Amino acid sequence: MFSKGNNLEKFKDAETVIGASIKVKGNFQGQGSIIIQGALEGSLKTDANILIGDRARVVANIESKDAVINGEVRGNVKAKNYLAVGGTAKIFGDVQYGEISIAKGASVNGQLLMLAEEHKRGEKVKGEETATETSK
Amino acid sequence: MHVYIYDDYLNKSKYNKIVNRVEIRLTDLGLNGKIIRLSGIKNIKGSIQGEIKLGAKTIVAVGNNQTVNKIIGAIIDTDVYGDFQKKTILGLIPIGEDNSIATSFGIKEAEEACNILLARRVEKIDIGLAGNHHFLNQATISALNTSLEIDDFSLEIKARGEVKIVNLLSDPREAFKSNPHDGRLDIFIRAKRNEESFLSAKKFKIINPQAQLLVDGVINLNTPIELSVLKDKLNVIVGKERLFE
Repeated sequence: MFSKGNNLEKFKDAETVIGASIKVKGNFQGQGSIIIQGALEGSLKTDANILIGDRARVVANIESKDAVINGEVRGNVKAKNYLAVGGTAKIFGDVQYGEISIAKGASVNGQLLMLAEEHKRGEKVKGEETATETSK
Repeated sequence: MHVYIYDDYLNKSKYNKIVNRVEIRLTDLGLNGKIIRLSGIKNIKGSIQGEIKLGAKTIVAVGNNQTVNKIIGAIIDTDVYGDFQKKTILGLIPIGEDNSIATSFGIKEAEEACNILLARRVEKIDIGLAGNHHFLNQATISALNTSLEIDDFSLEIKARGEVKIVNLLSDPREAFKSNPHDGRLDIFIRAKRNEESFLSAKKFKIINPQAQLLVDGVINLNTPIELSVLKDKLNVIVGKERLFE
């Protein structure tokens, strides 16, 4: 499930790409898929998919359908469908997801909450978690 | 009725031959009409709008991008049209250099342009607006230290390169696509060697205290400047080989 090819396929026709030498400030909202390779401060939201590149530094709450995080995110992440956390990812914030995969080497400092079972279980994992294995 | 607007530079002797060939071709095709030479006119907009009021159905720019830029404003100004008058259509006969707008329209050379005028394949397209200046193709500015203010966010570029704001694509070799019917301007940022960024917006402000914005390759404008798009504002005659759907 965490194969690079499958995840990147969704971003082939991304409507917005922010390169490494660009800094975005404010509330960034889109309709299509968004790729962030540079810096972003504020909030980031789309109805489609978001990819945070391995050199990206994001200080923002993120909300999307699918999300692939390979860089640093300081803020809460909400992927309504599927969240892939890559081996180079560093997340400092709470994470909400429909499905998740976490690669070896990734670090998630915050709560993990599965959206579909949010009300049934209310299960939250607190504290710092460092994944050691790719799940699924 | 066709009205042909000849740009100043066509007075040069090196263009005599091609201008003659175009005039013969237009006569052969039954497309001859009134000729207005920009070299003798102070109030270009007034002269063109005078012809529109008299019922000119097609205004043909004979020249290059600069010629088109000089006359767009006169054509799209709605005040000039009577209540039931149809909008005047823009045609193009490219002569000389700087003809990226004609390339976008699928018009490669002058004599072919005459046949395209006869075929009269009309498309409605968006027009870009940079401050008070209209543009069809694109506006460009140096990327380093350029910032863009769009809706609720801003972008700062900290690398050398180029920012292109595209309404209508003029180079078929470009890796990106741009749609002149979507009511949006496409922003392409090429920085460093291979880094590419892109996004689109309806309206935004561009700021760079050290650089000017070059519009359609002919007009330099100071920043900060607001850019926007006028959706489906201009009717143009295009060829089959046009660079947009």
